[in-house]
This record gives sequence, C-alpha cells and structure tokens, in this order.
Amino acid sequence: MAVVRSNISTNAGVRDQYIEGVKLLKKEASGRTTDEFGIPGAARSVSTYDLFVIWHVTAMMIETPPGNPAQRNAAHRGPIFAPWHRVMLMVFEQNLQRVLNDANFGLPYWDWAEDGDLPPQEQSSAAIWGANCMGGEGNPVASGPFAFHANDPSAFRVRISTNISGELRSVNRGLRRAFGVSTDALPRTAHVTNALALSPYDSPDWDADANTFRNRIEGWMNDDGVSATSMHNLVHVWIGGEMLLGSSPNDPVFFLNHCNIDRLWESWMSRNGRVYVPDMTAGADLKGHRIDDPIGSPLGRSATPRETLDVSAIYEYDALI
Amino acid sequence: METKKLAQGAAPRKLSDYLTRARDKAPAHAGHGAGGAQSVRNDHYRGHEIEIVTTYKILVDGKKVRAPLGVDASGQVHCHSLPNYQTASAVDMVRALIDGFPEEFERKPAPSKSRPPASHKRRPAPARKSKPAAKKGSKHEH
Repeated sequence: MAVVRSNISTNAGVRDQYIEGVKLLKKEASGRTTDEFGIPGAARSVSTYDLFVIWHVTAMMIETPPGNPAQRNAAHRGPIFAPWHRVMLMVFEQNLQRVLNDANFGLPYWDWAEDGDLPPQEQSSAAIWGANCMGGEGNPVASGPFAFHANDPSAFRVRISTNISGELRSVNRGLRRAFGVSTDALPRTAHVTNALALSPYDSPDWDADANTFRNRIEGWMNDDGVSATSMHNLVHVWIGGEMLLGSSPNDPVFFLNHCNIDRLWESWMSRNGRVYVPDMTAGADLKGHRIDDPIGSPLGRSATPRETLDVSAIYEYDALI
Repeated sequence: METKKLAQGAAPRKLSDYLTRARDKAPAHAGHGAGGAQSVRNDHYRGHEIEIVTTYKILVDGKKVRAPLGVDASGQVHCHSLPNYQTASAVDMVRALIDGFPEEFERKPAPSKSRPPASHKRRPAPARKSKPAAKKGSKHEH
C-alpha cells in the first residue's frame, strides 16, 4: 500500500519521526570507510546517512556527456533532474522506514512557497526553523535537533563535505546555515503557479536556458524567461551554508526541499499526463537524460525515467497543487 | 516502479556498492581539481563556425583559487562546487565561493611578537546580497 507524504509544518507526528529517522541513519554505520570512496585522509566509518551525501556529489561529478557545454550531469541541469531526485528520495524513504520500523512512514515535504509568501524579514522565523523542527541558522547551527555541541560526540556532525574544487573530503564540524545572506527571499506561491502553467516538461536545448517546467522548478530561469536563481535553487541559496554545496544533503532540509519539488512534479503530471522527454530518438549528447536511460542509482539499469513516472504503488501526497 | 525492487536496491550495502563503482566513472572533473576548468562554446552564424574557449585564472589575496568555473551558452557563470548558483559575473561567483568555503579563504595570522592593540581587531564583514542576474544576452563580466 502506498504511503502518504505530508507537510512537515502541519504534521507533528511525521515531523518527529523524520527527525528521529535522520538521527538513526546518521548513527548507523554503513560498513564502508571514507577511503573506499576516494576521500583523502585517515579512513573513517561512513554512516548510512552520509552515503546520500556521497551519492549526490558523485552524481554531480558525472557529466552527461563529459565536457558538454550545458554542464549537464547525472542529476542536474537537464531533464533527469526530477527522475533522479525522485529515486534518491524513494531510497532515502525506504531507509527511514527501516530504521523507524514503520513501513507506513512517508517522507514529509516543506511547502516553502507558504513561507515565501511571508514578508522576507519573517521568513527565517517560520515554523520549520523552530527548535522542535529543523532548528535555526548559524555556524554552527545552535538550536533544534541538529544543533552542534562540540563536546557531545552524539551531536549531529557533518563528516563528509566538498572542497572548492567540488571533491569529497572529510570534515568534523557542525551544520551551517545562513538564512537570506545570498538572496533576500524564498520562492512564492505565484512562482509555483506560473511553473505549473508551463506545458512542456523540457525542450531543446535541454539546458539552463530552456523555458520549461523542468528548468523552472530546478531554478535556472525566472518567470520572465530570464536566467536567474529561482525555485529549487533559490531555496538552497536562501538557506545558505551547507545547502550551497554539492554536499547539500548534509542538511536534513535538503530532503524536505526536494520532496516539495517532487510534489510539484507530481502536480504537473496530474495536469499534463505522465509524459517525459526526451525519448530515445534523442542523440547521444543526451545520454543519461532520455526516457529509457538508466538512472545513476543502486536500483540497477532497469530504473529509468519511464519507471519513475508512476509511483502510485509506493507513495502519494496528501495534497497536490 | 516495483516496490520489491525498490526495497532491495535501497539497502545500504547496495547503495555503497553502487557508489564505489560509480566513483570510477566520474573522471570528468579531474581537470577541475587540478586548478580551473575550460568552457567551450560553439555556434554557427552566417556560415561561420564560432568557438569560444573560456578559462579563468582567479586569485584571492594573491593565492590561486582552484574552483571549476564555467560559462554557459548564454554567458551565465556556473561553478561545479556551488551547484545551485549562476551569476552574471565571475566576480559574484568568487564572492559566493568565499561565502560557501570560508575555511579555504582563512587568513593565517601574521607572526608577531606582541599582541595588536584592541582597536585593530577586524569587524565582521557585512552580509552580502547577490546582484541580480543579467538578462540573457546582456553584457556580463568575466
């Protein structure tokens, strides 16, 4: 039976389970060590949670194809953006269900547009940043369940990050957030509405300049068809700190942002049908983004964008838009 | 998607096995790590073939910054290490890098025999707001 994904700001039970599940995955040893992923320095145990950090960085390192001028990679800047992250969220959700011992647990989403409709100066005080939810900002974050306490080995710690070249490295520090430093405000409901009104999922040149649903929600173009940081990207940039980097899954908010993006994609498909482009007639320069190309994931070669279009047997949202 | 296939593939061991294999397929950024990337843009115009090769040499406090900056077809600057950003200016991107990787820009305290007077302490830098991105096709700085 499909689980139901709900709004973390209005479902306290799911909120508390999510926090507990993240902490459990952070404490669970994956059985692998950093050296096995080519991370320099002394070999350290890698938690199951941190596998998702490595997965995200690894996907970004795989250019599709190598050297493409659009800088498409195995998860971003092209049509694969929505399917790849859908698979990542489903794998994460499965692991949360396992450690929570609750097969009915559904990953929550953060409806950031609700907070984006608030005046900019009030957005950092929204419920999601409360001490009983994701906690606040800081370097390190000092409130909430992921606050850093230097003398507490059980406190939430960032252990794998990236350097300025984008390469994985070992660290040992607290989570970082800096709300509204690099941009003033979160996306608003109007931005969501306008994105959902776009009928093509994606279109040539399949890049950051395409005025399409995928490109709009990924956040390379604003409502005026102008290149700008918006939607998904804007959420990352507004939160700042960890969320600026390729290792952004270090912040548990990452999954809440992407769950909302996934909800927007599901909302778009409820209007436009379960369609995806490009198909397999597209050239090799789009390999990795075509409908039957394997998604870079542990699910094997049969996990393709086509396979992600109907997930109604696995999960559904409490409310589409 | 089949629920059973998802459950099997989601096991941490499956994920870590996949990641160790995938790591070997990700050599594309080797050049970036070595110190800078190269963007190649191609176009055709009135029978002419245009190729624009862009490389960046960036110094901050006199030190070379090994960040993989690139520029896309419309001139927007992108950096692999800040994957959610695009800026109209490479200067803005370097500012964002300083925000995103503060430890890589830390100044080592100059060796001194005596403590500086309290009035010489640096004040914290003001919060930076990014400049709005330029319209497509508009002039931008690199």
